[in-house]
Amino acid sequence: MQYLTQASIGTEILYSFVIIAISLIIYFGTKELYNLTSHKGIKYFRMAFLFFAIAFFFRSFIKFLILYFDLEIFDFNLQMVGMVSFLIFMYASSMAIFYLLYSVMWKKWTGDKIIIFHILAAIIAVIALLVRSSAIILLIHIILFIFLAIVTLISYYDSKKRRKGQHLHGVYILLFAFWILNIIDLTITNALGTFQILIYLASLSVFLAILYKVIQKAG
Amino acid sequence: MTKRSKLEIVRDILKTVQTNRNSIKVTPLIRKSNLSSARFSEYFNELLTKGFIIERIEKSGKVIVVTEKGFRYLEKYQNIVGFIEEFDL
Repeated sequence: MQYLTQASIGTEILYSFVIIAISLIIYFGTKELYNLTSHKGIKYFRMAFLFFAIAFFFRSFIKFLILYFDLEIFDFNLQMVGMVSFLIFMYASSMAIFYLLYSVMWKKWTGDKIIIFHILAAIIAVIALLVRSSAIILLIHIILFIFLAIVTLISYYDSKKRRKGQHLHGVYILLFAFWILNIIDLTITNALGTFQILIYLASLSVFLAILYKVIQKAG
Repeated sequence: MTKRSKLEIVRDILKTVQTNRNSIKVTPLIRKSNLSSARFSEYFNELLTKGFIIERIEKSGKVIVVTEKGFRYLEKYQNIVGFIEEFDL
């Protein structure tokens, strides 16, 4: 049993470490492009991966607490460390997704909308902490996923009309889907069961695909 | 003719200076940039602030010179455009 716990903690740390590393490589690897251009799209894209790094750091910390102390996600909500970590995780993961969405949509939406997303992410984080219900957290994220998927698809068809080319909209939708699976994995014990490793590998593949494109294009 | 993006205009201004042996006076630069004086002024000030160009006093008068950072922009321009297009930013 102890061996299984150690293996699970090891898997979690490795998974989070790789995602954090990929996210930070993307963030710092695109720094020069942003410094040279001050392009808002590049800024939002970079911020998305900074927030992914923050979210996965706190995710791994919460997972460590759950596995090491054999707790349920909402057992440690009353403790300050667990409560703050969960709040930051929910806020940062929502912001990562919102920034990614905004990096594609900022030209089409007039005015700076990012403050609205910060408020929305804060509301989601507070609700998640207050309700302490996996079902409600999941419902909120499924509604968000449907919204994000529709906006991304609309953006995809718009860009297809403008020019032919390979875009990463499909990868973004997969990223949104894995984001929900990560929330499920964190809030419902053993929710992914035997598929956990496969989902982790698929999630890593999505991040690696984005990293590959970044390295290829950013140089 | 399609409207030039901000990135293209910056590239064109820097390229104009570069092709002019990296030394050009303001008046011919305005003419070659295909911008109104007001628009040119906006870009010119931004390029100065960002450190892409500097003004230098020579015997013939004040000239514009592209800095190392400006050359870096020209060098990375294709990457920048490719990156923005790839991620639809």
